[in-house]
This record gives sequence, structure tokens and C-alpha cells, in this order.
Amino acid sequence: MTTTMMTNPGGDAARTLALANLPAALDLAVFEITGPGFVGHPVGALPAWLGLPAGIPADLCDQYPMLELFLPGLDVWEGESDVWTETDSTGQDRYLQAVAALSEGRRFLVLKSLPADLHRLQQSDHDVQIQKEKIERLSRELERATQAKSDFLARMSHEIRTPLNAIIGMADVLSATDLTAEQKRCVEVSQRNGVALLELINDILDLAKVESGKVELEQVGLDLRDVIARALEVVELRATRKGLWLRRNIADGVPVHLQGDPNRLRQILINLLGNSIKFTHQGGIEILVEQDPADRTPGRLRFGVRDTGIGIPPEKLDSVFENFTQADTSTTRQYGGTGLGLSISRQLVELMGGRIWVESTVGQGSTFYFTANLVVPEGLPASGPDAVAEQQPVAPPSVTSQPLTGMRILMADDSEDNRFLILSYLKRRGCVIDIAENGAEAVELFRRNSYDAVLMDVEMPVMDGFMATREIRSLEKAENRKATPVLALTAHAFADMAQRGANSGFTETLTKPIRNTTLLEALARYAPAEPQMPPPAQDKILVTIDEDMADVVPGYLDKRRAEVSLYRQALATGDFSAIRNLGHKMKGTGSGYGFEELTALGAALEKAAASQQSEEIAVKLDELTRYLGSVELEYRKA
Amino acid sequence: MLKKKICLLGSFGVGKTSLVARFVHSMFSDKYHTTVGVKIDKKTFPLNGEEVTLMIWDMAGEEDGAPVKLNQVRDAAGYLLVMDGTRSKTLEVARSIQQRVENEIGNQPFILLVNKVDLRSEWEIPEATWDELRAAGWTILETSAKTGDHVEEAFLGLTTRIIQAGDDDDDDD
Repeated sequence: MTTTMMTNPGGDAARTLALANLPAALDLAVFEITGPGFVGHPVGALPAWLGLPAGIPADLCDQYPMLELFLPGLDVWEGESDVWTETDSTGQDRYLQAVAALSEGRRFLVLKSLPADLHRLQQSDHDVQIQKEKIERLSRELERATQAKSDFLARMSHEIRTPLNAIIGMADVLSATDLTAEQKRCVEVSQRNGVALLELINDILDLAKVESGKVELEQVGLDLRDVIARALEVVELRATRKGLWLRRNIADGVPVHLQGDPNRLRQILINLLGNSIKFTHQGGIEILVEQDPADRTPGRLRFGVRDTGIGIPPEKLDSVFENFTQADTSTTRQYGGTGLGLSISRQLVELMGGRIWVESTVGQGSTFYFTANLVVPEGLPASGPDAVAEQQPVAPPSVTSQPLTGMRILMADDSEDNRFLILSYLKRRGCVIDIAENGAEAVELFRRNSYDAVLMDVEMPVMDGFMATREIRSLEKAENRKATPVLALTAHAFADMAQRGANSGFTETLTKPIRNTTLLEALARYAPAEPQMPPPAQDKILVTIDEDMADVVPGYLDKRRAEVSLYRQALATGDFSAIRNLGHKMKGTGSGYGFEELTALGAALEKAAASQQSEEIAVKLDELTRYLGSVELEYRKA
Repeated sequence: MLKKKICLLGSFGVGKTSLVARFVHSMFSDKYHTTVGVKIDKKTFPLNGEEVTLMIWDMAGEEDGAPVKLNQVRDAAGYLLVMDGTRSKTLEVARSIQQRVENEIGNQPFILLVNKVDLRSEWEIPEATWDELRAAGWTILETSAKTGDHVEEAFLGLTTRIIQAGDDDDDDD
């Protein structure tokens, strides 16, 4: 520290006075600039950090180039310089600042060393900012990775679901044929595992969607009873197989007409129901709905799924909602499943502003509760005529015995396997199916015929399902036709399918792999109340065939039904030779399978095509369609 | 002997001080040490048969609320704009500084140093950006004070360009 101020050899009283006013204790180096340039004489002892020998005049600009910038000329001699850094004789950095002072016409230059804290503060500020940038960067990378993961999952989901569609579907088809007991068991194993794999894929995709924030809840009108009924329908079969009862109990005063996301609500219920069924071996499962006792806000409901199952030990109650967690790792081995369902349910419940928990007694059963904020639409009483207490066993599912007799369906799918699968599902349902192998063919067939429903694959060559459906919609508008239900079939479980589908005019979207019952239920919704070609009892055409033909005849008829669209296409494009060939083939095979009528129609079509009589062909095609829609088989023992 | 002043400019933490330490003292430390104000170093070396002394002004990194002090750049014969390849924000800062410096001192030679090339796998700036800058006439060098990659080329390259530009405003001793 410089504590002693000394006058230099040429000092006088005034200078001593001026210097005496400088704060001596502030670790300053003081020079009097005597010129030329920045040659200065040290005033008093210089601090050690300066590294300049005291008493020797030096051109300070050689030592500190900063000064030239700060003091461009000797005529201007006041102010403070920018801060600069010098490494002192001990190797330590010092932060210096120069102050120019005039006193009685004499120029003084003071160098001061700023506190080392200055550096520390700036450094920590920079460290924080660099860390912040790193976090931002990681977050960007994470976002990119999440997007890539989502894209990958979407792609893989498509790739996995498409063949799975064929595998499960074929197993369904196979199970409906005559099989030995052993074959039946093999098919059942295939079906069960196919479905299990499909559920697993769905769960993983769902979890990925929820975790990447891609799930947005709908806010649409829903009927609580309907949501519950449809959830129960899904698990009905599993419960019945285990001999379990299913009940629902909607408390008095709970509004049933609400707004919310019916699909996600149903999904939570299905997950909880499925979970309960898995761990319940006798008794049954009950869905309870009541006003949340802890929150009386209208629409704030508490759902419960109560079972009489094995129960969960108290120490496991909290962890069952975590990913890949079941109460016991041995549980997975014993009961199967991934434990993802509850985790997905938890996340969906949280999205709905509620919470999920479980109460359980080992050996007596569990009740999974969740709360959710649903909206009571304005104008409807919170509880009203629709809010009746219900406690009833569930009616047996209204499944798919409904025939689709006379229903005319246009199916567009480029995959031969898928076409075969859907034809297999629909065979003996009495519907008539035209087939297109791409969107353009579908539009052309639609232009010439009317249908009760269109099954539209989404990804097809030439013209995809979106575009084809848009064309169909504009065709309907232009020709003032009523809107035909278009059911999209897609293996894309992800992203913006629903929105794109809605924009294109899909009536609804069915996700592949599509199960027999799902397809039949969906089509039944659009079956005409009065079938277009209702084959009244007396119009049924009963054909008796030998029992040993039973394996081949239905397939033969299905092929003919599928061919109708080929005839119509050929007629549309004026391809008479194709019609002639098809007719010729049918003429040659019909009676061999026991269908004289088909032989006759084949001959008539062949003949009409040979003379290019379009009208006659159209008449015969209508006859063929009617016949194929009315024919019923009766088997006679060989 | 030629004596030239050059400045190192850029965002904080991009490695300006480390580049100078590598060039002047052949040293490198991984420890980040922020520069307060400006630190002036010099190095004398022969270039094309002539002794050149570079006065290297290693200026405090720019940060929000503390822009580069243009008065310190005013008499520079050229400058090295330094950015950190792993921090895309530092490119924006470099571009912005370049604009201000050009407004202040005109078209002096400069080179953009994309520092920390030893961490190239962590760079996140698309190649197209470099192409775009090169197309705009920028010279770009990928440097690493840590490994010494292209550090000497950067300083000597800038000095050569300064000399070629015929800038003789500085003292010729």
C-alpha cells in the first residue's frame, strides 16, 4: 500500500497541496506528465503491482497503449479511461483505470486498480449465461429428438400395424371355419397373441403421444352413459370368459350430457376395467360415477372402478401408476401386460385436470378412483331429467349379428391381402361390394353407382384416400347427391389423421388392424334402414349344394361378388373384351358349383359384350348383383 | 518494422483470450477466465522477410447491456471476429458486431474465427450458413485454441491481408 506521498525533486508547495488531496490510501499510482508524449514522473512511491521502478520517468504509453486512446492529446486532460487488464509482476491480473486530472495547469495521471470482485461478478454472470445457452441448446436437441422419436413411432406403427392387420384378420377368418380342436387352439393362441401385441403397440404409441405433449383433449358433447356402455362393451367378452359380472352405477344427480373428450374418457375406463378383469378371478367389476365429494363444481366427477380381485399391498399403492410398473415384477410373469395402461391413464386424468388413485385391501379387491373436470353445457341443468340414478347390469353387447343385407359398399384398397381380408369379414353378410384398387378407380366407380358406404384406404397409389374422398364429396355436391358415409381405413395411428380426415370429408376413421366386429359394427351404423334391395323372405334364392362343396362354394360366390366391380369398371371404360372374358369364365364355372343362374348370366354378359350392347350389359349386371345379394346356401349331405 | 493494431471481437466466452494466449504464448487453459475491459498483448514475428509487431487488443466479450466499445476499435488495422461453434447465438453477436464495426471504421480486413473446432460434433450451425457468409465475402477459419488448429493461420492471415490492403496508417519503425 502506498501510504507515503513524497514530492519529487522538483516539487513545490502548490503541487504538494494538490497531491495531498489525493486519497493516499487508495492504492493509486500517480504520475505527473511532463511531456513530451506521455512521459511521466512518478509522484510518491508506486505500488508494487505496477511493475515500474519508482522515480524513473517513463513513456506510459509504451507500457499502457490504452492511454493513447483515452488521451488523444495533451490539450484534453480530464476524465476516466476504459478499464483494462494488466498482468502484474506476480502474474496476477489487475483491472486498471486511468484518471486524468488537471491541477493548476499541471497534468496528473492516476492509475487505479479496481477490486478483483469486478472480475468475479462478471465471470459468474457469464457462467450463468453460458449455462443458460447450454440448457436452451439441450432443450432444442431434446425437442428434435422427441420429434424424431414421434416420427419414428408413427412410421413404425404403420409398418407394424399393416402386417398385424393381416395376421389377426386371417386368424379371425380361420377361426370361423371348420377346425379340429387342436387347430382351433392354435388359432386362438395366434388371435390372443396378435391382439396382445396390438394392444402393446397401442399403449406404447399412446404413452409416446402423451409424453411428447401431442395429446390434445377434445371438448365435444358426450353422453356419459354411452361412454360407459362402450367401454364395457370392449371388455365384456373378457369378463364373460372369466365368469365375472359387470355393473355400472351412476349416482343420482350426476348429469349425463356433458362436454369433454369421450374417447379419452373411455380409454381410461377401458384401461381400469381391463386391469381389474386381469386381477379378478371371481365376482365382478363395477363402474361408479358420482359428483367429486371434494369439489362440488358442476361437472367435476369422480369415477371409480371397483373390483373383487386380489388387491394390492399398501406399499405398492403409489407405484402402480408409474411406467412399466406392476405391483410385483412377478405379476408381469403371472398376469402379463406391461403396466403401461395405468401410467397412460394417470397422464390422461391429469390432462383432464383430475387425479387418480387406488384404494385396496389385499384379498378383497381394489377401487381405482379418478376425478375429471367435465363441462356441463349451458342451458342444461346440472342435474335434470337425464340425471337419473342408474344401477343396472350391462346388457349383453349388441354385436354384430346384424346382417348387412343388400347394403352396397365400395371398397378401395391397393393391398390384395386387405381386400381379401375385408371380403372375408363381409362374406355371407348379404352386402354387395365393388372393389377399387386405388382412389381414382374408386372415384370412377362412385361416379357411376350409388353406395350405402365407402371403405377407403388412405395410402394408395395413383390417388390416395384423402384426395379420392374430396373428389367424392365434390361429386356429391355437383350432382346434388346425398352424402355417402366414407369410412377411412388407416394404419396411421398418429399425428393429424383425424384433422386431415375431417378436412377431406371422412365420415369416420377406422384404424388398422381392423377387427371383424369393429368393421361390422361400423358398417351396421350406416346400413340403410330399408335395405335397397331387401330380399324379402320369398325373394331369397335358396341353392342347395353338396356338403363336400361347403369349403369352396362361399369363396366362389365371394369372388363373383368382387368381380361385379370389375364388370362395372370395364363397362365404364368400354373394355368389352374384359366383360366378355369375365362372362365367359362365369358361364363355364357357374353350374359346376351349382349355380345355373350364374352360368346363364355369364353367357348373357359374354354375348352382350361381343355385340357391345352397353345397356344390356348394365341390365345383366344389375341382375347379377341382385342374385349374388339374395343367394343363400343350404347344404345337403353327400 | 511494421506495427499493426488488431482487435479480437465477439461474444463473451467464445475463446478470444485463449486464441491470443495460444498465438502469443503457445499456452492453453481449459478454465474460463472472463476478460475485464481490454487486455493488450503484442507479438513480433517475421512475415515475408519483414518484422511485424502486432498489438493485439483482446476486448471484453460483448453481452447484453455491454456492447463492444467502438472507440477502442477505431484505429485497428483489422480484426478477428470470434464465435463459438457450439453456441449458435454467438454467430448472431458476431454478425451484429461486424456491422457496427464496419459502420465505424469502414471496410477493414477481418476474418471470422469459428472457434472450438475440437468440439465440432457439438456444432449446431447448418453448413448453408457458412456458404452464405462466404458468398457475402467473409473469410472463415475453423480454429481451436485448445489444439492450436488454424490459430497461427488466423493471425498471420489477417496480418497479410492488412499489409496487402496497404494500410499504412500505423507507425512504421
